[in-house]
Amino acid sequence: MIALALAILLSTDSVATSSHLIDEVVVVSVAGEGRKRSPKGQVASIDEHLAELSHVNLVRRGSYAWEPVVNNMQTERVSTTIDGMKIFYACTDKMDPVTSYVESGNLQSILLNSGLNGNPQSTGNIGGSLDLKLRKAGFNGDAFHLNASTGYETNGHVQVYGVDASTSSNRFYANGGAFFRHADNYKEGGGRKVSFSQFQKVNAFSNLGFRVTEQDVLEGTFIYDRATDVGYPALNMDVSKAEAFITSLAYRHQFDHPVFNTWETKLYYNHITHIMDDTTRPDVAIHMDMPGKSWTSGLYSLLTASKGSHDVQVNYDLYYNRLFADMTMYPGGAAPMYMVTWPDVGTLNTGVALTDLVALPHQQTVRVSAKIAQQWQKLNDEEGYHALRVFFPDMKDNYVQTTGRIAAIYTWQPSHWQLSFGTGWGSRAPTVTEAYGYYLNNTFDQYDYIGNPRLKNESAIELNGAVTWRPSTTFSLGADANAFFFSNYIIGQFENRLSAMTVDAEGVKVYGNLSHATIINTSLNAQWQALPWLTWNGKISYAAGRDDDSDPLPFISPFAYTSGIDVAWKRLHTRVEVRGNARQTDYAPKYGETKTAPWAIANLNATYTLPIRQTALTFRAGIENIFDKRYSTYADWCDIPQKGRNVYVNLAWEL
Amino acid sequence: MKLKVLALFLAAVTLGLSSCNSNDDENGIVIDGITITDDVDCCSAEEALQVYKFLQTVKIIPELSIEVDGKYNVWAYSQSGSFHTGYNEIYFVATKKISGNYIKKFNIKNLTPLMHMVKMDMYHSSPASEGIESFNDSYLAVQRGWVSFSMPTSEAGDWVLSYDVEVLGSSAQVEKTAIMVDALPEGQEWVKSFKANDKTYYLSIVNPTDFETGKNTIEAYVSVPGEDRTASFGLAKEEFTIEIDPRMPDMGNHTSPDNTSLVRQKDGSYQGIINLTMTGLWRIHLTVKDTKGDVVAGGDDLKDGYSSLFWDVTL
Repeated sequence: MIALALAILLSTDSVATSSHLIDEVVVVSVAGEGRKRSPKGQVASIDEHLAELSHVNLVRRGSYAWEPVVNNMQTERVSTTIDGMKIFYACTDKMDPVTSYVESGNLQSILLNSGLNGNPQSTGNIGGSLDLKLRKAGFNGDAFHLNASTGYETNGHVQVYGVDASTSSNRFYANGGAFFRHADNYKEGGGRKVSFSQFQKVNAFSNLGFRVTEQDVLEGTFIYDRATDVGYPALNMDVSKAEAFITSLAYRHQFDHPVFNTWETKLYYNHITHIMDDTTRPDVAIHMDMPGKSWTSGLYSLLTASKGSHDVQVNYDLYYNRLFADMTMYPGGAAPMYMVTWPDVGTLNTGVALTDLVALPHQQTVRVSAKIAQQWQKLNDEEGYHALRVFFPDMKDNYVQTTGRIAAIYTWQPSHWQLSFGTGWGSRAPTVTEAYGYYLNNTFDQYDYIGNPRLKNESAIELNGAVTWRPSTTFSLGADANAFFFSNYIIGQFENRLSAMTVDAEGVKVYGNLSHATIINTSLNAQWQALPWLTWNGKISYAAGRDDDSDPLPFISPFAYTSGIDVAWKRLHTRVEVRGNARQTDYAPKYGETKTAPWAIANLNATYTLPIRQTALTFRAGIENIFDKRYSTYADWCDIPQKGRNVYVNLAWEL
Repeated sequence: MKLKVLALFLAAVTLGLSSCNSNDDENGIVIDGITITDDVDCCSAEEALQVYKFLQTVKIIPELSIEVDGKYNVWAYSQSGSFHTGYNEIYFVATKKISGNYIKKFNIKNLTPLMHMVKMDMYHSSPASEGIESFNDSYLAVQRGWVSFSMPTSEAGDWVLSYDVEVLGSSAQVEKTAIMVDALPEGQEWVKSFKANDKTYYLSIVNPTDFETGKNTIEAYVSVPGEDRTASFGLAKEEFTIEIDPRMPDMGNHTSPDNTSLVRQKDGSYQGIINLTMTGLWRIHLTVKDTKGDVVAGGDDLKDGYSSLFWDVTL
């Protein structure tokens, strides 16, 4: 009975993995067949795990807290949840994507739903939705389990130490651990040091589960994460402290019913404090304090049911988020200058989502998902509100928005083939930055950005399709494409009448709606197991973005390729790969983007697992950027260079 | 002390009642040091209470207060109990000595600041209000005037202030009484002058301390000396338009949109709209134009491109 229950509990994930829109990277535990994981294993940073997902790129402002970009869309168009919990970053300069507030040790896996076919808790997920699945020991596991891992990287003297332990029984489980990560300034290819690229981070977590009755379970989660002394070489400021406190309590009922399977209700609360710091920078014209705060409290309630060929999920969610940020500037000698940059915006959002996976005859499935959400926003800070009214005299201090999405995907898997295509429509409300941000300096295009409370919701129609041909078990060839046709695309637009605040800024941009815009993503991939111990795989991708004047949109990946050979010999697994980007021909000068040169690097890694009695010891080692190339990618903010040659070793020990 | 507590308590109770009950028992109001009688010259209990409460928000200037005919007292107040360079408001009340109650009608005239320039042994006055009036229907018994001191007290010179008063047929004069005018802190310059038509005009900003981030009304007076420079400077007869260009010198001369020029109002003051995008030092560059639209003062192109005529306001 219990085993069955667990199987169903886990099935919510595996149900989803049948289409090309869903991708998952495994952070801990043994990776299943075909499952992705970082070559650095558990010791890899969240950012390195994210980089393994298809459709995902990362915008880098330093060596820490990279911003996930899904289908060439940044945070505004991507939903990120932690086990279904909403959490919002606290930095007006996007120095802290919410993925930076967890550690690898906290996670089981990262699940990506590409495009509009999002997970039930996601809202505003035009580009996609990421759900960071927390690692829970679960019931009926080992009475005691210990995990320890450590890693070292030569470039930047990166040190990683992690330890966690778990206990589990039929009625109770608990797991918890701590993680420490430290990095000095790294060196770019060629050996020059990149100043202000250091960081340090500590993280502690615990998960508790208690079986109240045979069919009722209570689960609690607690994560504390604190990054200090984080350098951002691409920006004018660093971060002295980025701190998160994430907690939840969930109740889950297991039905013994022909239709209903499970019903989970989770209450959660999280709080982020983000403190920027420019005191260590030389030649600062005006010292500034820029703290930001975000707190979110919410709940979701998810019911799963199956009848006949239908697997249905119904989800209700509600959250309340507060975002406040301000800025104080200290000109030498004169009075400090103060402004509110996020006017303490309270957002109450509630929505209902429905997902139905229908199994049809002849290996066909249809997955339909839909969500409708309503949002109330209020500007709680008078000073910030009055400041914005200078630019928008008719604005109100409260707004209501309704958003929704609906998407369907059809999959057919005849022998040797997998075909799928899907479509969807979805909308998103403007973010707090887009609607109410106040003189937020963007170092990418050197403009000060002002939010626009008059913005309309942005919406998009998505079309996607994929085909995989697998004539034998040793060869496969696949193609994947999607296209997003936007209406009211939100982007910063020149406002020549306004004067910049930041001393070196080029001018002011105010967020506005473009009548339409388009983003397309395509990729081809192939895999060939030439010999039982030798596999080659390759992937090329191409994307394009166009605004309403058919000019390129910024932050769209140029032509990219990866080619690698995996060699597996006994317990040793090695991989050598080449990856690179072609010249960025389609860059967006109109939006302040500069052309990025082509680059290619080679990486080598090896994994060796040594079982010692009941325990397993895993060694991982590798060289990144073997030839010490100096390069930066299109997603490197202000073209900061990537790491040069980096040798890493790490060791994981499971007891 | 006990009486005062009782007074405040009763005042609070009375205020609470007055909003819902029009038949107040006026004898219920007790104000410290004031005896309410049926004296027609004086305030009713409610009026007296309002005056009393207003006076709690300002500070007395003892040296400018005077006794009239042994029967009345006239008291002068300012926001802080002292004076500073630029525009200052002065409030007056008159009381009957016998009851301590506020007298409803009295006249203050010839409010005159005078500076003695020590080195040259010369005297000059400064902009001041022409009339002293009840400034609000709620405070009939409070009269308000203003003085805009063109410079602070310093080794170079001292200020004196004088005025005449008439209370219920009796009159008295506060003769040139020495006062201290404090310099404004760094980043505050609230009075400026310009020369035109062979005259020197003074621009006094009225409400810089009210400014907040966002949209603000900006108010000012344009004053000009008469023949006698030792008489207070009255409002200029000529009409001007004062264009404003607020800038933040510490932020690369950042400015704000949608500011409107100060134009003359019926009461002789000038008013416009100033938008301030943040706190800090704002230099409000001025261009003064006459009714034909010709530049009278300011608006000159310095090498940084901004008018040399300006007010500084730090908020």
